[in-house]
Amino acid sequence: MNNKIIGLGCVGVLLLGVLILVATGVGGYNKLVPARENLDRSWGNVQSSYQRRLDLIPNLVKTVEGAANFEKSTLTEVINARANATKVTVDMSHAPTDPAQLQQFQQAQQQLSSGLSRLLAVSERYPELKANQNFRDLQAQIEGTENRINVARNDFNVAAQHYNTLRSTFPTVIIANFTGFQERPYFQSAAGADTAPSVNFGSFGASPTPAPSH
Amino acid sequence: MRTRVFILLALLLSGAVWLRAADVIPPPPTRYFNDYALTVKPETADALNRQLEDFEKQTGTQLLVAIFPKLQTETDLADYTHRMFAVWRPGQEGKNNGAVLFVFVQDHKMRIETGRGLEGALPDARCRQIIGDVIAPKFRAGDYDGGLQEGVAAMIAAVQGEDYKGTGRTAYQQQHPGGQRSTGGGIPAGFLVLIFLAIFLFVIFVNRRQSGPRGGMYSGGGFSPIFLPFGGGGGGGGSWSSGGGSSSSSSDDGGGFFSSGGGDSGGGGGASGDW
Repeated sequence: MNNKIIGLGCVGVLLLGVLILVATGVGGYNKLVPARENLDRSWGNVQSSYQRRLDLIPNLVKTVEGAANFEKSTLTEVINARANATKVTVDMSHAPTDPAQLQQFQQAQQQLSSGLSRLLAVSERYPELKANQNFRDLQAQIEGTENRINVARNDFNVAAQHYNTLRSTFPTVIIANFTGFQERPYFQSAAGADTAPSVNFGSFGASPTPAPSH
Repeated sequence: MRTRVFILLALLLSGAVWLRAADVIPPPPTRYFNDYALTVKPETADALNRQLEDFEKQTGTQLLVAIFPKLQTETDLADYTHRMFAVWRPGQEGKNNGAVLFVFVQDHKMRIETGRGLEGALPDARCRQIIGDVIAPKFRAGDYDGGLQEGVAAMIAAVQGEDYKGTGRTAYQQQHPGGQRSTGGGIPAGFLVLIFLAIFLFVIFVNRRQSGPRGGMYSGGGFSPIFLPFGGGGGGGGSWSSGGGSSSSSSDDGGGFFSSGGGDSGGGGGASGDW
């Protein structure tokens, strides 16, 4: 008789435990879903910013080619880097799950970034280009796109961090593992980007203060 | 004992601020046209403030101008202005139709930062044209008033075509239905700085009295950049109040004041330039 009661009690406690686990699990699941949607959405922004840059390059190349004897090697570097970047595609609607895939994507885009910045730097030496309205507009568009890429990447990393933290906390991690919520990779900062930027003290204080106009 | 703990806490806190002092994100402005560097005539500032306020009433679009003495950042210009934009959040909720023209006088740099809802009307190339072809030539000639007047006009003209409808009231007026604002333009922010300054002076004072000569290591100009972000130790001049806003323009209906309509943090669009 006594044993029966103890047995029932044990079963009851066990059931209660399971119930609590399931309840918190469902709660965790319900938080994971919007976090993953948010992550995928930020990935979409990352992708469209990079795509925007890819779309701008043919126009830029055409404009620069028009300039008399523009440095060929810089141009071909950008053209090749673009071709390479178009080949490395990642699903647009879902954030990547494979860190290697993301890294490959990032590397290809990074190559294009450095090629582009070199091209824009070289173009400073061509007064003909600097006076060209079309080129200056394109330059502004490229610069704007680089900014958008940075912003989108930062937003993506924040979303990925939020998602990963949610996913890996107990007890959500159990549910996450059962329902296929995988850990997502981040963007790594580019080589050299983690070193402190050099500060140009010449631009502080040294420049003359313009006289107020009143 | 208690005071000692307090002093220690205050020092720790100011130390924490010190570490970040090189990168200052100013609080959201209280007006549309904010001349923190006192570069334009008060009349010009007032007129532009009115113009920008009217533009929000008509179209809901929040265009801001912020003129700073110099850059206060360790990162680049675009990153810095984007982070400011993300705190200020101009534009209406869901429309994100806000943009800010930032000017850093001593650095001779400026930037238009556009909200996502204005990227169509103010694309990067258009922003560059406004900066490079409209504003910069005037600035180069020393005509800050003219450059800003024409720059604001060009921004308004560019956005006018966009199909945004205003409610006839600004976000500030909607958020403050009573209308009356108890203090003049920009004073709350300036007041905060004064409080900080008072605490700072108090800490120094107490510190000196308690530890005698040893306190000297914390005194002096070393702290001033923390509490006087722009004053550079000169005292007094470094508050966040926007110089252009005279109290005369604050009417009873809460006119002339800016408050974010709930735009998002922006996507980093816009263009930079120098002069």
